Amino acid sequence: MLTFGRLSQEQIVFGLAVLLCLGFAVALPGFMTTANILNLVRSVSILGILGVAMGLVVIGRGIDLSLVALMAVSVAWTLNLIASGTSLPQALAIGLAFSLFVGAANGWLVAYVEIPAIFATLAMATLVYGFGQYFLYDLNVVYLPDNARYLLWLGQGNLLGVPVPIVLFAAVCFGGYLFLRYSRSGRYLRAVGDNLAAARTTGVPTRPIIMLQYVLSALIGFVAGIVTAASVASMNTRIAMSTYVYDVILVVVLGGIGLSGGKGGIRNIVVGTLLIGVLLNGMTIMDIQYTIQNVIKGVILLAAIVIDTVVNPRDEQTAQHGDI
Amino acid sequence: MTPILELRNGTKEYRGVPAVKDVTFALHRGEVHALLGENGAGKSTLTKMIAGVVEPTAGEIWFDGDRAEFKTPAQALSRGIAMVYQETSLVPSLTVAQNIYLTDQKHFHRLRGIYIAGQQFLQSLNFHVDPTALVSGLGAGQKQMVEIARAVHHNAKVIIFDEPTATLTPEEKHQFFSLVERLKTRGVSIIFISHALEEALQISDRITVMRDGEHIVTDVTSAFDREKIVRAMVGRSLSAELYGSRKDRQARSSGDKVLSVQNLSMGNAVRNTSFSVFAGQITGVFGLIGSGRTEAAKVVAGILKRDLFHGGQVRLNGRPVRYRVPRPAVRDGIIYVTEDRKVEGFFETMSIAENIYLAAMAGGRSKSASVSVSEMNALAKEWIGALNVKAINGDARVIELSGGNQQKIVVAKALVQKPKLVIFDEPTRGVDVGAIAEIHQLINRLADDGIAVMVISSYLPEVLQLSDRILVCRQGRIVEEFEGGKADEETIMYAAVH
Repeated sequence: MLTFGRLSQEQIVFGLAVLLCLGFAVALPGFMTTANILNLVRSVSILGILGVAMGLVVIGRGIDLSLVALMAVSVAWTLNLIASGTSLPQALAIGLAFSLFVGAANGWLVAYVEIPAIFATLAMATLVYGFGQYFLYDLNVVYLPDNARYLLWLGQGNLLGVPVPIVLFAAVCFGGYLFLRYSRSGRYLRAVGDNLAAARTTGVPTRPIIMLQYVLSALIGFVAGIVTAASVASMNTRIAMSTYVYDVILVVVLGGIGLSGGKGGIRNIVVGTLLIGVLLNGMTIMDIQYTIQNVIKGVILLAAIVIDTVVNPRDEQTAQHGDI
Repeated sequence: MTPILELRNGTKEYRGVPAVKDVTFALHRGEVHALLGENGAGKSTLTKMIAGVVEPTAGEIWFDGDRAEFKTPAQALSRGIAMVYQETSLVPSLTVAQNIYLTDQKHFHRLRGIYIAGQQFLQSLNFHVDPTALVSGLGAGQKQMVEIARAVHHNAKVIIFDEPTATLTPEEKHQFFSLVERLKTRGVSIIFISHALEEALQISDRITVMRDGEHIVTDVTSAFDREKIVRAMVGRSLSAELYGSRKDRQARSSGDKVLSVQNLSMGNAVRNTSFSVFAGQITGVFGLIGSGRTEAAKVVAGILKRDLFHGGQVRLNGRPVRYRVPRPAVRDGIIYVTEDRKVEGFFETMSIAENIYLAAMAGGRSKSASVSVSEMNALAKEWIGALNVKAINGDARVIELSGGNQQKIVVAKALVQKPKLVIFDEPTRGVDVGAIAEIHQLINRLADDGIAVMVISSYLPEVLQLSDRILVCRQGRIVEEFEGGKADEETIMYAAVH
């Protein structure tokens, strides 16, 4: 939102990222090299892809806490199937179908049963994780079988000198941008997030659109999962119960996509991802402890939100409904 | 005698737009002071400044001879200024007594103690409310009694009532008036905001009229009559200009029966009501707030669902229809234009063009699955021109427009869906005077073009001016039907309240 020369949160965060970049560039000798910059973006591209998935849901005034769990379980099952002899396309199709099915179940719970998204997806995350452990694979860490080593290219290869995860991140962003801006469903999604009652009265098919949010989130999550598995040649399903999903929300909120829905776009996710990337990379080079890194991340998030609230105060009139 | 409360040159601006401009207002001890004005005249903002809900942009508040600055409602309350809101501010899941003693200082109460105290206190006020009853189970009138009891308990010297009688039944109103008398004898000063002029004339000692955020006149009640108040409220005898031209026009004859509703029921709001709407004419629906007119319209448009059993029948062009969601209704050409545009009228993060284009897509008027920006801009330009929207271009955001222009966008959103039946619910609420005339013209044009138009309004002159047929709604039912030219204000009002 560019309103009358005020800075939006997106611009503040982008400025912050640039400032940090400059600071690191001056203070840390190895920071401003092409290799390090590529490494930096590569390291956050999975986070960025997940950010796009979460962002689409949040723009539609929902939230998907099952994103990471679903990604881990569906990809782990896919790897397990390959290891037990299923052909690669078949295994991918089964994993993807499972992922989409669970996404649709999320959407159905939120849209038709009208359970708040935060509860529906939280419960779904636990359910999927447990289901996966009991039925789909035996060990917490599922390794990429040797007969599928060529998948590694997706996580570790280069395309025209650019690491493939970065290319995929860019492709997902571009797809998300086209969807939000140029597709009918994308417009509907934003309308549903902005004002559900108005969208309904206007004749927008609100429930199918809410379903679509979660299905898209599951789809993009599956892509992110495959890239993850390809990067480290395994899928550690314990990630499902970690705080990783909150990092994803951090990226989305930090970039300026309001949790109240309707606001922001793909650009916000890219900016949020970049800030986190710069921050993590710089801190890693400086050899800061992991626990301290968490503290710094939290402080940065709070600071961004506080600055946004100060620079763009809540409109008094919309805050108080009723007669003037 | 100094007034107990005085606002001197008070101004309140929202985003640079003044809601109250340089108003001086004085409240004497023990008087009932009626504050009158149209929607958006600034009455609520004025009282919110006094009660500490909003801070004045400029001006001073003097209370009991001292300069006072209230930063929060709690501060104002501690000095003895209490506000009783339109929507009650009680906690529904607590009992009556708990609500009355809610903000007392002690951390722990014995429930029995406050029930006994509450019983005595309510009796001393002559309120027949059970202190152990849950607030959620009370009627509107009883809730108001609890609010008032709470205000009195806080030793309120000034009580502000914002539209207290809007939700009350006639007996409850009567009780309320006698209560006001009793408060007066206790030396409490009362500010009374109302749309009902008769009530103001009946119970107030003095009357202040506001218009467009400005103070117009203050005088003792005996110096006023209904007409004088109305003149002060609308000013420049605009009402005659806007609403008086009806006489010289013939009522349109009815075309095909587009909508036929039989025995429609929905909960307590709509009770077994029947009516029809015809093509090529305007059917006005008049009813007081809470008479079920909005709910009936929303059932027709698929926004609300009628009762599953004995819910009645809705026919569109003779074909029975039952919508579970608004989308098929929109596709069939039934468009409902909301009374509350901020809540369900438009998308505030979107531009004018995006709003209109979205409606065009949802209405099935644009078939392709992808968005055409050039089509979107052309559509915006067309409607901005057609409805004379005052905006720089289609990229302006709707939230930044004035009320009248926002309403035009909401109307454009409806018309772009090519309706067969349009239901306007309070089409000119919170709309500036110039835009009212334009919206009325537009509604007339629609009917001339052969579209079935239904206009729901609680403003009688509007209904009289626009309608070719007038339906009167009361307690969930259409109770009476008049031909356009045949009815006057009194007969319609009589049908609506008795």
